[in-house]
Amino acid sequence: MKCQKCGKNNADTHIKRVINGAFEEYHLCSECAREMGYSNVFEGFSHSFADDFNSLFGSFFENALPARTQATRCETCGAGYNDITRTGMMGCADCYKVFADQIMPTVRRVHGNTTHCGKNSAAAKKQAAEPKKEETVSELDKLKAELNKAIENQEFERAAELRDKIREQEGQ
Amino acid sequence: MSNVVMLTRIRLARNLRKYPFPCRLNTDGKNKVVETVVGAIKNSNSPLADDFDVLYVKDLSEAQRISLVEAHLASPEFISDSAGRAIVLSKDREMSIMINEEDHIRLQILKKGFDLEGAYDVADKLDTLLDENLDFAFDEKLGYLTQCPTNLGTGMRASVMLHLPALQKSRAVSRIAGNLQKLGLTIRGTYGEGSEPEGAMYQLSNQVTLGISEKAAIDNLKNITTQLVNQELSAQKRIAESVRTQDKVLRSLGILRSAKLISCDEAMTLLSNVRFGINAGLLEDIDINTIDKLIFDIQPATMIVNKQESLTAEQRDILRAEYIGKVLKK
Repeated sequence: MKCQKCGKNNADTHIKRVINGAFEEYHLCSECAREMGYSNVFEGFSHSFADDFNSLFGSFFENALPARTQATRCETCGAGYNDITRTGMMGCADCYKVFADQIMPTVRRVHGNTTHCGKNSAAAKKQAAEPKKEETVSELDKLKAELNKAIENQEFERAAELRDKIREQEGQ
Repeated sequence: MSNVVMLTRIRLARNLRKYPFPCRLNTDGKNKVVETVVGAIKNSNSPLADDFDVLYVKDLSEAQRISLVEAHLASPEFISDSAGRAIVLSKDREMSIMINEEDHIRLQILKKGFDLEGAYDVADKLDTLLDENLDFAFDEKLGYLTQCPTNLGTGMRASVMLHLPALQKSRAVSRIAGNLQKLGLTIRGTYGEGSEPEGAMYQLSNQVTLGISEKAAIDNLKNITTQLVNQELSAQKRIAESVRTQDKVLRSLGILRSAKLISCDEAMTLLSNVRFGINAGLLEDIDINTIDKLIFDIQPATMIVNKQESLTAEQRDILRAEYIGKVLKK
């Protein structure tokens, strides 16, 4: 779809608003959206999501390494990775685990950070009461974080090593 | 201070672990979420439990839906679709919960003036009480899990609505906006579009939600707001000395008092001028709260809802002029 304002660029920003007592919906390109005062992290996000996928994961995993077994569909909600990149929306809580490798670089870029700090839900308190399970999870998380770092630094050999380790652990 | 800051708002995004996020839920699923959340509110030991209204979007008229947005209780996104969506409101409208907007739960506390800590305190308590009855999707590392990853972590948006007529006039807002982004904040117009929003009202809010605690995000917002308010006040003092400014304020009041027809846009601009005049000490016999109430009451859909009948644009403009004239009469 073309931008409804300039009619030239592709629309990648969907705006819903109320002006003068009427509900309006627009599809704009990021440039026009910015001009109209709608530049925000969200718009950059859906954009960089697609960029990440195509430039980083696409080229790296498909060309530089033998195909990596990456999750393509979340079994809990049925969302595919394509659905997520297209809409910028996760399908369910489990998607964050299933697609963790793919989305974490973007999360880091949007927030400048990947570790929560602040209020802890009651559910988290319950989880914390089972330290054993938590340890294994965190070790796997550590490996995954290292993998992301290796990818960012373009250390391909190290990334392949880590990938195998993660597979091993996940298979246990 | 509270005169520049008109409203304070805290919004928390929460999701139920048991259900997919709204984008992957059909209407039946959404209705179940509404039922579960409303049930949890009833059973919670919160001040909201005995005294709230539930409005189903599908039962509301177009004007009623839009007036919820005008009153800052719902988002345009929320009213864009009616299937399986409901909003829970406390009688005084300070607490509200949008169900099945972008997340299952968007809990909001809205307070007049500048009270970020007070608003967060109420939000935090309500959230904790709901958490006892609802299993929220939460991850040790990523915090509260949200449909859009931009809200991960605390899931909190804290915002203040600012009236910045003097900074807008000196074109300082767009310059400031660029710097704010570096501090993890974002500013945009409340009404209208572009760099000069209607009535010089702006919304300043935090952008980053992951890796920064609620308290740190609120402190940051509070500090920057305080600086902005001080800048605005000194700019107000400066321009208030000019006879042109004084003339504009008094003329604005004159038009508001005697017009027969007035559009929402014009009324917003004039009310903003008068509000500035009160703040800068140019007008003494008008209460600023009267002006703030007018700003919310004269919004187009809110007028229709209050009048309880459909109105054409011209009928609205007549009614608006009558109403403002009556409220501001000497």
